[in-house]
Amino acid sequence: MRRPRTTLVAAATLIALTLTTAPTPANAQSAAQPNQVADLTVRQADGYATLAWTPVDGATDYQIERTAVDTNGTPTGAPTIVGVWRPNRQINQQAPTFADAGFNPGDSFQWRVRARTGTTEQPYSEPITATTTAPWGNPDTPGQQLRTQWETTHAAQYTSDTDEYAYTAAIDALSDRVRVVELGRTVQNRPINMLVIGHPTPATTPEAVAATAPVAINCNVHGNEPGDREACLIMARQLAFSTDPRITDLLSHTTVLIVPTINGDGRANNTRGNSTGQDLNRDYSLIRQPETAAYIRMVRDYRPVAGYDGHEFGNSRAGDLPMLPPRHQNVPQPIFDQSQDMIEGHMYAKGAEAGWWPCPYGCEGGGNVGLSEETILRNTLGLKNVTNSLLELRSSGGQTRPDEGNTANNRRRKTYSALWTFHQFLDYHRADRASILTSRAEAITIQAANTGRLVFRGSRPIPAHPAPHPGDSPPPLDAPPANLILDNAPCAYKLTDAQYNGVRTDGPGGVGTTVAQRIAAHGWKVTKTTDGYYVPLNQPERGLIPLLLDPLGVEKLTDGERVYPTLTGRRNGPLVVTGFTCAANATVNGPVTVRASAALVTTGTTISGPITANGAAGVLLADSTVNGPVQITNTTDAVSIIDVTVAGPLNLTGNTTGTDIPLLAGSTIRGPLTCTGNNPTPTNLGVANTVHGPRTTGCAAL
Amino acid sequence: MSHPATAARHPRPRRLALLAATLLLAACTDAAPHTTAPQVTGPLCAALPTGTDPGNPTFLAGQPVDEALRWIPTLTTFEAALRASGVLADLPAGTAVTVLAPTDDAFAATFSEDNWDDLMTHHTDQLRTLLKAHLSTGAHPIDDLATAGSTTTLDGATITVTRTGTTTRLADRADTVCADYRATNARIHIINAVLGPLPVTADGTDHRAH
Repeated sequence: MRRPRTTLVAAATLIALTLTTAPTPANAQSAAQPNQVADLTVRQADGYATLAWTPVDGATDYQIERTAVDTNGTPTGAPTIVGVWRPNRQINQQAPTFADAGFNPGDSFQWRVRARTGTTEQPYSEPITATTTAPWGNPDTPGQQLRTQWETTHAAQYTSDTDEYAYTAAIDALSDRVRVVELGRTVQNRPINMLVIGHPTPATTPEAVAATAPVAINCNVHGNEPGDREACLIMARQLAFSTDPRITDLLSHTTVLIVPTINGDGRANNTRGNSTGQDLNRDYSLIRQPETAAYIRMVRDYRPVAGYDGHEFGNSRAGDLPMLPPRHQNVPQPIFDQSQDMIEGHMYAKGAEAGWWPCPYGCEGGGNVGLSEETILRNTLGLKNVTNSLLELRSSGGQTRPDEGNTANNRRRKTYSALWTFHQFLDYHRADRASILTSRAEAITIQAANTGRLVFRGSRPIPAHPAPHPGDSPPPLDAPPANLILDNAPCAYKLTDAQYNGVRTDGPGGVGTTVAQRIAAHGWKVTKTTDGYYVPLNQPERGLIPLLLDPLGVEKLTDGERVYPTLTGRRNGPLVVTGFTCAANATVNGPVTVRASAALVTTGTTISGPITANGAAGVLLADSTVNGPVQITNTTDAVSIIDVTVAGPLNLTGNTTGTDIPLLAGSTIRGPLTCTGNNPTPTNLGVANTVHGPRTTGCAAL
Repeated sequence: MSHPATAARHPRPRRLALLAATLLLAACTDAAPHTTAPQVTGPLCAALPTGTDPGNPTFLAGQPVDEALRWIPTLTTFEAALRASGVLADLPAGTAVTVLAPTDDAFAATFSEDNWDDLMTHHTDQLRTLLKAHLSTGAHPIDDLATAGSTTTLDGATITVTRTGTTTRLADRADTVCADYRATNARIHIINAVLGPLPVTADGTDHRAH
């Protein structure tokens, strides 16, 4: 169990911080009145100020008062209650903290805090005065001096599309750490850009970036929820130009991928959907729209290992920052657990330090949200073995931030809380990188083994966070209905040529890409034999494939034909594979020969004898053992070897698989590994292999 | 708009509207002769850019109306719809205009997110009619509208305008929450409800799931 450990450590750290580094203790000389808040401190950060104080026995809640002051500390505005802290806001209630935000960064304020017992107001603390942190970046330093339209207008305007392009282009031009790439175009032909950020420079190709275990932030999918996007743009500047050792350390250990605006058309018109009215966060599996297709191709090529997806949330009773992991039941357990650890282990603990209030999505009065649709990026990414979370910014001030009738205050609180979250996300990745990668490797091998039932809709339960809060209202159970469970998973789906290559009408303007193109965008392997196109399930995204290709799929592409194993149990003697052969939980004693244009798929199978495949359509082995040499040459469609033990040499030569990249991942080769003349060059998806013998240079990256 | 009353009060052709606005400005500022700052009024004004903030009313007074609307942060929905539909841009050049601008909260209370997206993306004619219900020709101070007692909007509807204490009620439905923003050749009155005949589709459940 990771969670309790992380929480306890973080809580201990918090107490130490509070006791030792409180920078500006309030005047402690006047005698404290009964029930008066004591030891009020304030710490400044980007766009918010963390107030902390010693709890008052019996307090029901606390009110945080802020007053604008001039440089001499003389009040220039009316005192305003800007915050209400309730004990259920954070996991360690013995050290209350409140992140006050909404003010214009750089202005000076005086704060006081008082307890309330029931509705009875107790005496205010001594006041504390400080100047808040100005917008990040030295105005006289090139690059650092850049500002977004949102910043220069004091949040009166959101950053427009053209201002975003100019701003990110300027960052690109001025920082060696940043490369802006265009992932695609929206329906209305707006560029969908991504900032690729690394130190000292980002790796040059998507495959090289993938090797750095990158993190991805999708900032703005719903055009009318722009708060996270502004945070992304500010963070891009910080990452590009900061000299803080923390930032350069982060960027030296990963690559940060920031997609500010996947839905530029919706943002321009302030609509939730894209210009066709399609809610893009109901399309990440189907990828009917060019925007979602661009993102999914990015995930295929850059292979982020962790992600956040930014939104705003209208539930006024929610916490500041509702979060939720991927919870579709086909999401591998390690990815679910790792995502929960990121949210409840890291974000809840760090939120209690900074004074933000993360909570499970839904939160108080959350209703029927946070379910299992695989069309939602949170779930799509989980099914793609990406540790990730939804991030919501509560739209209104709600019960705990009563001064957000002022639009600028409201917008700034949302954006700076998102900025805090995204920085914490990077810190989590830095600290738990090994754990994230282990979870990913486990998830890939679990999925490729193709064991266990398939669920078409239904979520893993999110247990309430141990008391006290912030887990008092977890999202609905969302158990899978019996008619959407398939206990006997097939080996593959077979598609006809019409299904695979046929014209589709489910895209913008009644024109859709083909199933073939969408499967390619997801990066799934397909082998063509004389009777159709086979999509095997012994692949890293096994949990997602049936949701699009099985007749039971709720939002599917087509009704593929379930293909069950053709070889199970024990078989003695030579095996010659013609057509499509699927071995599951089989034992084969004898040499296996895969004929030209044939396909072999195995899971849970032991083969004692050599495997020889020359000119095959596909060879996909997972969770299997081969006692003998394996020679796979001149394959035409797909090669995949995941979690396989080869007691002998492995030879991958002359495989020419088009755009599909051969896979060798999580396997053990007890002999030499030879990779020659393969196009494309094989990859290991970041899941290392163990090779006991020598390996040729073509296998160096494996 | 009540045509007789309006005709009596504003017998000027459109090309003089700017001059008219200037004259009205002079009349309005008698009580504060040392400033030409527009006096916006209503309970929401304090929450909008004030003083020297970017987007303050004095700055907006020198902006074209479409630019001015972009600076008022509670008009995100309305401004985007006006821009997307081209209703403002379709007015003959130089047309003086009064904008009755519903807040984002007003739109959220009226249309479900799905309904609004549908209007924005698939029903341009309905959208344009809806927006025209919030525009009238002539740059009219809110007091002038109230004195006239009614106004006719570009969708052809005539709505009542009644003074109610410190705010003004329109169509017996919407109240001004910050009135008398000026822009070039324009007045902008922010209101707290959506006008026009479209049915309410918001269901009060705050928000769609992520």
